[in-house]
Amino acid sequence: MHNVSKRRRSLLQAIAAGSATSFFGPWAVNHAWAQSAQKKPLTIGLTMDASGQYGASGGEERLGAMMAIKEFNEKGGVLGRTIEALHMDTETTPATGSRVAERMITRNECAFLVGALHSGVANAISQVAQKYGCVFLNTNSSSPTEAGQNCHRTKFVWDGNGTNFAHAIVKNAIRVSGKNWVLLTNDYVWGHTTSKATRTLAEAHGAKIVDELMVPQNTRDFSAFLIKLQQMKPQVVAAAVGGDDLKALRKQVVQLKLDKQFAWINNQQDWPDVYGLGPEEIFGVFGTNWYYRLDLPGVKEFVEKYQKAYPGVQIKVPGNVYYNGYMATRELLRAVERAGSTNNLKVIRELEGLKVPARDRMQHFDAYMNPATHQMQQTIYMATYNDQPAEKDDIFKILASLPPQEVEDRDAPGACKLESYESTPSYEA
Amino acid sequence: MAQLLPHVVNGLSLGLLFALIALGFMLIVGVMEVINLAHGSLFALGAYVAVWLLGPTATPATFALALVAAPLAVAAFGMLLELCMRRTYGRDPLYGLLLTFGAALVIEELIRAVWGSRERTLPVPEAISGAVLLGDLIYAKYRFFACAIAAGLILALWVFIERTQVGAVIKAGAHDSEMVRALGYNLARLRLGVFALGTALAAAAGIIMAPIWGVRPHMGVDAVVPAFLIIVLGGVGSFWGAVFAGVLVGLVVGLTGAYASEWSLMSMYVLFIAVVTFRARGLFGRKSVLDA
Repeated sequence: MHNVSKRRRSLLQAIAAGSATSFFGPWAVNHAWAQSAQKKPLTIGLTMDASGQYGASGGEERLGAMMAIKEFNEKGGVLGRTIEALHMDTETTPATGSRVAERMITRNECAFLVGALHSGVANAISQVAQKYGCVFLNTNSSSPTEAGQNCHRTKFVWDGNGTNFAHAIVKNAIRVSGKNWVLLTNDYVWGHTTSKATRTLAEAHGAKIVDELMVPQNTRDFSAFLIKLQQMKPQVVAAAVGGDDLKALRKQVVQLKLDKQFAWINNQQDWPDVYGLGPEEIFGVFGTNWYYRLDLPGVKEFVEKYQKAYPGVQIKVPGNVYYNGYMATRELLRAVERAGSTNNLKVIRELEGLKVPARDRMQHFDAYMNPATHQMQQTIYMATYNDQPAEKDDIFKILASLPPQEVEDRDAPGACKLESYESTPSYEA
Repeated sequence: MAQLLPHVVNGLSLGLLFALIALGFMLIVGVMEVINLAHGSLFALGAYVAVWLLGPTATPATFALALVAAPLAVAAFGMLLELCMRRTYGRDPLYGLLLTFGAALVIEELIRAVWGSRERTLPVPEAISGAVLLGDLIYAKYRFFACAIAAGLILALWVFIERTQVGAVIKAGAHDSEMVRALGYNLARLRLGVFALGTALAAAAGIIMAPIWGVRPHMGVDAVVPAFLIIVLGGVGSFWGAVFAGVLVGLVVGLTGAYASEWSLMSMYVLFIAVVTFRARGLFGRKSVLDA
């Protein structure tokens, strides 16, 4: 009897340990060394998810950053120094983001940090980066708080945010589909702030928000939410759901044929979240900041370069997440070149004054960095599923392109309080 | 009441699916007292093998074939894993835990290497796709099918364990393995068979859940955590305890999803804490000195 109870106790202890190990994976570290040079290489830390809700998108933005680094290394690096990339998995977990950032800055001596999908992770990384004065580029996290209340002197945000995308799609959705709205919100900072922006705009244009359903992160079964939606019978469902959660939602909406029952708008649609889905699963109207078939100079060559560099990848054409990873890293390295120094404060000043012609960014309108919020102001596209694709991957139809002034997040400058230069630690990488 | 009923029905169906996910895990933990942390990865492997077998479309015949063939293939893989685990038997359960945790990582990376990390879709036959009207509500046909399969597998496993001679030997092996060996039964073969059955059930659950959750290399994580919770909640080693816990978790998740949506995932953990606080051995667990 005693032995049996000891065995059961050991088993229960092991179950508890097992539960813990299933939550905390191993520390995944991956070095991507570029060729060495006589001068000390410049190390960029890639703080990107390789697992969790945004694992797939993290892989894409990493390819984008690596492409920009490769291009600079091919022409001799920056300031005569080769560029090395050090990647660690931030696991779509804020606590891991903090640990990774701390380690990259203090142990690996990374000069700059690049990458983020999840706004909680981005916020966690940026707090560590600000503590050390390390320039951090938030490539793909689009919570309005990132360039609002959670802004930092050392952080620069490259994606459009929830408010920008809401400006692009809300007014049109009210006009076309009706004023009776329900919000479906991923229950974390990006979802909250994005739905808040949607609510504000929708109500300002006469819509009524009947209810807001909070979707916990990592929800895989949406049946309860979908039954509730059917009972409420809204005209428009505005979803701020991302990553793997969105993929599961799309599947279940199509299974129930609810894509035809209400008008669906999804604030922002990241390319890795829809790539490979069947046409019926890409329903609704959504926002994006880039598409691989924009009829603009340089786009075709950009796509060909991706395909040549990464022939074996699952996603055969680049999307917005790759694009943001590439653009952010390229502009960072250009800023270092222009500054003629790796001094963080000089690089920050360069980035604050950044202006990029539309042609250079392969978008319809000129873009610029807002020095008060550190968010890139850029073209935002309203898109839907393309029912007449020119090729297999041509799944988006661009409905409208809006200049940055029309989609501006006007609340951000009031909410953002950048730290002073004096209080930001200075360093030379 | 009319508003509540669909959520109760949905919660029950969700519960059956949760029970299905926990079934293979429960068999291996309950009968062999081995914590198979690779359960989630084997769940994912089953889905991937089925996707590979089916290709882009499915007919009722090919889907049924995949539902049988993929678990058999994964069971063969499970047997290899069991052979590796033999050195851990009779030792501290942590050895088995570490080995299966390592196996989980290896299987997930194997999936990435063979099929890539992109989302995959498991096609379903036309007959069970689409939706049915239940009064004012639309409900997915596939979900009824999944629940029927889940109920069928639960019942079949119960009959096998409780009403066959092999089942009796398996239960006896769990209770007193030395006695079973002394009676002339090949214990090694018995364990191999149970492990294969557990992994086949994991794979079958992966296939059934794939059209609802989607197919991704890390989809197993979404399965293994509820599976853990359900078997402990039901009482380690209790067959009907696990089934009951699965249904209870489904009901709680379904109802909170409808009426307090931000609590829908958290609710299963709150339920778990509430039950284990007052009944450490779970709802149907055997009494031990821990309860004295």
